Amino acid sequence: MAFGSKRDGNLAVEVLPERATWGGPLLEVRDLSVRFPTEDGLVNAVDHLNFDLRANEVLGIVGESGSGKSVTSLAILGLLPKTAQITGEILFCGQNLLDMTERQLQDLRGRRMAMIFQDSLAALNPVYTVGTQIAEAITVHQEIEKADLNDRVAELLNIVGIPNPKERAGQYPHEYSGGMRQRAMIAMSIANDPDVLIADEPTTALDVTIQAQVLDTLERVESRTSSSVILITHDLGVVAGVTQRIMVMYAGRTAEIGTVNEVFYEPCHPYTQGLLASLPRIDRRTSDRLHRIVGQPPSLIHVPPGCAFHPRCPMAEVPGVCNTDEPPLIEVGTTHWSACHFADRLLAEAKDRQYGQ
Amino acid sequence: MLTLVLRRFLISIPLLLIATFLVFWMVRSTQAFDPTARLAQSRDPSVVQNERERLGLDDPIPVQYGRWLKDAVTGDLGESQTKHEEVTSMLQRSFWNTLQLILWGALFSAVVAMIIGVYSAVKQYSIGDYVFTSLTYIGIAMPPFVFGLLAIAYLAVWPKQTWGLDKPPLEFVGLHTTGQSGLNWDYIKHLVLPVLTLTVQIVASWTRYQRAATLDVLSSDYVRTARAKGVPRRKVIIKHAVRNSLIPLVTVMAVDIGLLFGGLLITEQIFSIPGMGRLFLNALQTGDAPVILGYILVAGVFVVLFNLIADVMYGVLDPRVRLS
Amino acid sequence: MSEEFPESEDRPDPTDDGLAIDTRVIPDEAGAPLAIELGVTDLDVAAEPVALSQWQLFVRRFKRHKLAIGSLVTLILIFVLCFVIAPIFLTAPQDQRSNLTLGSTGPSWQHPFGTDELGRDMWARILYGGQISLRIGVGVAVVSTLLGTFFGAIAGLYGKAVDQVIMRATDLVLILPAIAVLAVALQRFGQKPNNIVFVLAGLFWMQIARVVRGLTLSLKEKEFVEGARAAGASNFRIIVRHILPNCIGPIMVNLTLSIAVAIITESTLSFLGYGVVPPDVSWGYLLYTARTKYNHDVHLVLFPGLAILVTVLAVNALGDGLRDALDPHAKH
Repeated sequence: MAFGSKRDGNLAVEVLPERATWGGPLLEVRDLSVRFPTEDGLVNAVDHLNFDLRANEVLGIVGESGSGKSVTSLAILGLLPKTAQITGEILFCGQNLLDMTERQLQDLRGRRMAMIFQDSLAALNPVYTVGTQIAEAITVHQEIEKADLNDRVAELLNIVGIPNPKERAGQYPHEYSGGMRQRAMIAMSIANDPDVLIADEPTTALDVTIQAQVLDTLERVESRTSSSVILITHDLGVVAGVTQRIMVMYAGRTAEIGTVNEVFYEPCHPYTQGLLASLPRIDRRTSDRLHRIVGQPPSLIHVPPGCAFHPRCPMAEVPGVCNTDEPPLIEVGTTHWSACHFADRLLAEAKDRQYGQ
Repeated sequence: MLTLVLRRFLISIPLLLIATFLVFWMVRSTQAFDPTARLAQSRDPSVVQNERERLGLDDPIPVQYGRWLKDAVTGDLGESQTKHEEVTSMLQRSFWNTLQLILWGALFSAVVAMIIGVYSAVKQYSIGDYVFTSLTYIGIAMPPFVFGLLAIAYLAVWPKQTWGLDKPPLEFVGLHTTGQSGLNWDYIKHLVLPVLTLTVQIVASWTRYQRAATLDVLSSDYVRTARAKGVPRRKVIIKHAVRNSLIPLVTVMAVDIGLLFGGLLITEQIFSIPGMGRLFLNALQTGDAPVILGYILVAGVFVVLFNLIADVMYGVLDPRVRLS
Repeated sequence: MSEEFPESEDRPDPTDDGLAIDTRVIPDEAGAPLAIELGVTDLDVAAEPVALSQWQLFVRRFKRHKLAIGSLVTLILIFVLCFVIAPIFLTAPQDQRSNLTLGSTGPSWQHPFGTDELGRDMWARILYGGQISLRIGVGVAVVSTLLGTFFGAIAGLYGKAVDQVIMRATDLVLILPAIAVLAVALQRFGQKPNNIVFVLAGLFWMQIARVVRGLTLSLKEKEFVEGARAAGASNFRIIVRHILPNCIGPIMVNLTLSIAVAIITESTLSFLGYGVVPPDVSWGYLLYTARTKYNHDVHLVLFPGLAILVTVLAVNALGDGLRDALDPHAKH
């Protein structure tokens, strides 16, 4: 769909290539670190993060609370508080977002990059109708006739599967059900056909059955608009069905990154293994206790030295390399990296389990 | 929502009755307000007795109250004990002056509070914010009458004396210079000090509240969503932040209207404005029971009305309330 | 205008994904509320949470609030001046002899706050007046807090009919014009300071009752009460060990802030002539006598007025400091 940006004469707009003409990865996060000064000390929310988002893919980012997943997404959109100390690069179609002015970022937000948030009731303004808010997403970036605007809003609501779109557009957020609201947020985010859509825990607050509906909507939207999606969640079950690649984060760092199959069937990081093992499974005996990862998530102010996971790791060598050297991302396959000193060993064991049985 | 508003309104009526009854009881049981006090000087005890019977003062208090209430509802608040005038007409005459003060006061407070509150929130921790916040601290701690007296001393009398003017730059007696009327410069010069005095605490309180409400809204999720959509800063502040901060502000404003009534007494006294408050104070001085009761009733009715308006405004501003 | 977005420093923690448990108040095995704050015991090891009791946390936060500390010091100074220094070094107003030849004079070394039209020393009059103003202020706050807490707690805990009745009663305070009614009431009950305390408290308790009721209602619903009840604790035990300790903080804050309101109310009433009257002297009464003195003897207005302003400012700042120290995340 053709559209014109209202901010002509803007550096970013002129220089930033369109998705179709840019051949490389849409997003390249290089060595991203985000630190927050607090009264208790400096919080290392994100620590030297590296990953790519390619065209036409769904990338899942998985991790516990405090792993840095949300901070990463806010950093991409430039929505972190002023006090945040951000280093590294976030390249969007080759341009570093961290070098851009607020005005340039405003032009990109909602148009080339969009985001949907976890709590849809809080994320929508209660005093304006849903239709008005979706329309705002459009009019901020385009000149459009009132009649066309209303049609476009209804069309968007229809795409995400909301019945009676014309009527629903005139209703307020609290008049929608949770799943519907989340889908309305999705509609709002795709209004300008963005290249990158970041979904931050879109299903966490919803019932399992509604979760499926929303994820389904997300999938349909992604295939229809050919945008790339970053799906952030703590729920492995959610990523299994929808994503193509997964990045597991721990303590603000990448633990493991690879395709869905690689991460699920050949996990090469003890944390990933722990996550997978603690999934309740229907084929286990009910007398088996649920597996859990011992300990608590680490303090981000005083991150454990060496590997951040070592205090909770069942195979950590302490004292040894695990509490002195921070493990680099080791390549265990062409598309598979793991930040564990023993990644190769784990890979071998995983393959044994896979094929040796 | 309509049922909710109606219900709240209907509950206020018995409350008003109980409140006025309590005041009635206090008035009737106070020596100073005894309507027959003047007659006590006459040597003939039967004069006092006759008067007591005429006014029904020996009936039980609830009965007396019922009688008063019945008349009040039909608009008859009795006759002033000292001025031989219908209380209702006395109140009507002075009502307009009081209303002017209330309206200007509320308008001034709302506008100033909103502007400064939003500014302070948007430019948090700037010098301007620091100055305004300190001023609000002082404003809240300042009793209106202290402010009024000092304002007259330093903003009217001192300039006149020091600069040798024949009239003070800001007037402090009444609402108009004798002979003048209408909305003119003279009127404004008379309004400034009384309105400031009346509203000093209220402006401070509302400003603080607006600042807090705006800050609160600025860090809300829906403002973050608006930013994520690419909405420019000014629009986010006005369309989302300020608009949403009006909701809690309206409730605060409605409740504080009651404060305005309290401040009225001081203001009308200090600035010699012939309004209901001054009427009340004079009545208190002379022990004029019907006027005292009349004032309390009218003030109570006003507060109930204002609360009703606020409830409706709340529904207008917040769709969640409207549709419940 | 720069395009940078205005931000509040009171933002919620950006690293909070919204999924973490609220770890601020967790009962220990004995059932008393504990707070957990991250502390570091050994720098070589990953941080272990160190449990600080709520009292320790409160004191730590309060000490950081310089304004509140300053206010506390100011208030102590004022109290000492009025209740200790004055009786020892200065003659009481009723004992001061008029000095008509002196008349009213402005501030001087001999009379730091000047003299009134009868030649009496204003410094002494203000300090002695402070005794009454402060006594009434604190008295009203204490009595109304006791009454208000009692009724508010009953309303919140027992609910339904009791709650409705008490709540309607507290609505009265919103309908009536306060100063007017208080003036009438004081005519009825007398204008000695003790009467003033009780009459004012009779109106002030309603506001406190509303606050305490809200508190008890929300505490009743909290999980640790449910947990205690599930563990078999009796109602009495729940109230005493779980609900009351969590109420004390906000009640203390309210008490402090009502002192300020009480002082302003008393001085307003006295200014109108319907509060404190001779032979008692209060700051408000001093302003009553000075109410026409803006032409010449402004010092008669200025110093009592400043006394009220400074005291109320300090009390408010102290109350705010207490509130922030209790719960820095609370929205006021």
